[in-house]
Amino acid sequence: MAVIAQVINASKEFKSGDSVIVALKPSSMDLETGKVTLILGPSGSGKTTLLSLIGCVIYPTSGEVIIDGVSTRDLSANKMAKIRLNKIGFVFQQFNLLAPLSAEQNIMLPLTLLGVPDGEARERVKTALQKVNMSHRAKSLPKMLSGGEQQRIAIARALVTDPPIMLCDEPTASLDTNSAHVVMEELKLLAAEGKAVAIVTHDMRLKPYADEIVYVEGGQISKTEINQPI
Amino acid sequence: MLKYAWQFMKYDKAKSLGIVIGIVISIFLIGQQTGIFLFLTNAMKALVTNSQADLWVVDSKTINANALGKLDIRKLKELESIPGVARAFPVVVSGGTARFDDGTTAGIQLIGTDAPSFRVGLSSKKIIGGSLEAMLEDGAVSADYFDRNSLGGAKLGTSFEINGKKAFIAVQTSGVRGFGGIFMFTTIEKARYFGNIPNTNMSAVLIDVVPGTDPRAVKDLINKTLFGVRAWSSKDFAASTVTFLLGNSGIGFSIGSLIVFALIAGFFIIGLTMYSAALDRIRDYGTLKGIGASNGYIIRLILLQAFLFSLVGFVLGYAFIELFRWGVGKAGTVFSYSPAIIATFFLITLIISLGGAAFAIRRIVSLEPASVFRG
Ligand SMILES: Nc1ncnc2c1ncn2[C@@H]1O[C@H](COP(=O)(O)OP(=O)(O)OP(=O)(O)O)[C@@H](O)[C@H]1O
Ligand SMILES: [Mg+2]
Repeated sequence: MAVIAQVINASKEFKSGDSVIVALKPSSMDLETGKVTLILGPSGSGKTTLLSLIGCVIYPTSGEVIIDGVSTRDLSANKMAKIRLNKIGFVFQQFNLLAPLSAEQNIMLPLTLLGVPDGEARERVKTALQKVNMSHRAKSLPKMLSGGEQQRIAIARALVTDPPIMLCDEPTASLDTNSAHVVMEELKLLAAEGKAVAIVTHDMRLKPYADEIVYVEGGQISKTEINQPI
Repeated sequence: MLKYAWQFMKYDKAKSLGIVIGIVISIFLIGQQTGIFLFLTNAMKALVTNSQADLWVVDSKTINANALGKLDIRKLKELESIPGVARAFPVVVSGGTARFDDGTTAGIQLIGTDAPSFRVGLSSKKIIGGSLEAMLEDGAVSADYFDRNSLGGAKLGTSFEINGKKAFIAVQTSGVRGFGGIFMFTTIEKARYFGNIPNTNMSAVLIDVVPGTDPRAVKDLINKTLFGVRAWSSKDFAASTVTFLLGNSGIGFSIGSLIVFALIAGFFIIGLTMYSAALDRIRDYGTLKGIGASNGYIIRLILLQAFLFSLVGFVLGYAFIELFRWGVGKAGTVFSYSPAIIATFFLITLIISLGGAAFAIRRIVSLEPASVFRG
């Protein structure tokens, strides 16, 4: 187990008109490989903001975010995109599969972006499909798939580049209990294989899957549970 | 990437169809207007382009081949004596009214040249009926197949009157038509006879230069030596005629503004439809950005779609243009597009669709990758 991502005294403020919204107060946390880290908190507490910082889609207002030894503070938008492509697999609440592309093309996409040769890419897509038990739906368009199936394709897309970090924002919120369980088991397996898996949720029922839990409330991170119903 | 682009286009069939229709309509309108423009300018210079001569010599004030001034017949001898002139052929143009048995009347332009060479209008390529021998008979003139409706359905052999004098159609041409007036070609004597043009006058002189001589040098020599006349290369005289008539008729402006209108309308229809199609897929583009595609990749993806749209749109649009050309060609509006013009049509298609894609690109480039986390 190693620390692959660090949030060091990082904060995030959003300006909207004259007012400033503090989405995340200066906070610190580490993300370790081989572990499922659950980021728990009520709606509007700053979970997605924290995940976006680690996911290199936004810059911290203050403090630092370090991904695999590189600080994102002074990186260009294109360099940030490269880090996302190379180091991070994303899983979203709404699955975010590209609607015009088939399941296997969606999984192929990050490999295309990376410039992986066709033959090798096809092999890796096949393996990824097997891993999430979706080989039989390779040719289907996303709209032909159930929510749970779409999320498994999304997981395959996230893991096909073999990134050290998997970031999941409410991956089970759009799924029934059964599909949610399948998805969580898959994510746990990925952690067991050595990835750092961070899962944002407000669903306390996911706690049993966690190796680590980070609580977020009112833009603040704490290691201990907050005594408040979520 | 080609496959992805194609699938994006196929996925939203209604919008894609809208974009293709926008391209087809604007390229068709442009092609149609260009065709009409080509036809009209060809008609404007038809007298010159349907003649065989190195040089045209006309009255010094004349700049339009369709309104030739008067030249003294003695100029012919003077021209023949200029070094470098091999032969000089007089041309007599006269006007008249043709009256047919069925009561049809039509204003015509009679163009007479010396038999048997008939340097204007009667080249063998353009003759579809009758013979040049028959042209020597009394009253013999030519008429164009496509003017038949204006000439009471006149065919080969039809007898009629020109300015009250008996005439008949001895030769039928195809596609030798003027701008405004109806051309009838004949011998120089008959052009004088029908139009009451005295022997002392002529309208223009066509010059063959001595083989191996530079026609431009001969032209300059004529212009320096002879007063009251002006020598032109055929090409320059045709161009001067077109420039003059375009400027005077407003045709250049009206066709030009229609083309510009088609361009602008096409650009915005295509641009806004592409923009709206991109908005429909904004989630997908956001996801692409989120998982690490660069702006460059997404711009290429959108441009590639625009390029494919322009290919499809051009092929269809050009097919319609050719259909239009074939349709009006049957009615005598004959013209053809040079490869350069066709290439220009494709270039215009490319410009309006790639340009139209700019709206979509602007929107997608400004998209925050963080948007991927907000449903
Ligand atoms: N781009 C933004 N502009 C302005 N305010 C923002 C922006 N992103 C987030 N916020 C605000 O920051 C706060 C934290 O938002 P965040 O999305 O991180 O919450 P969350 O814990 O993920 O909530 P949820 O469980 O509802 O997804 C909220 O008050 C939100 O309105
Ligand atoms: Mg959230």
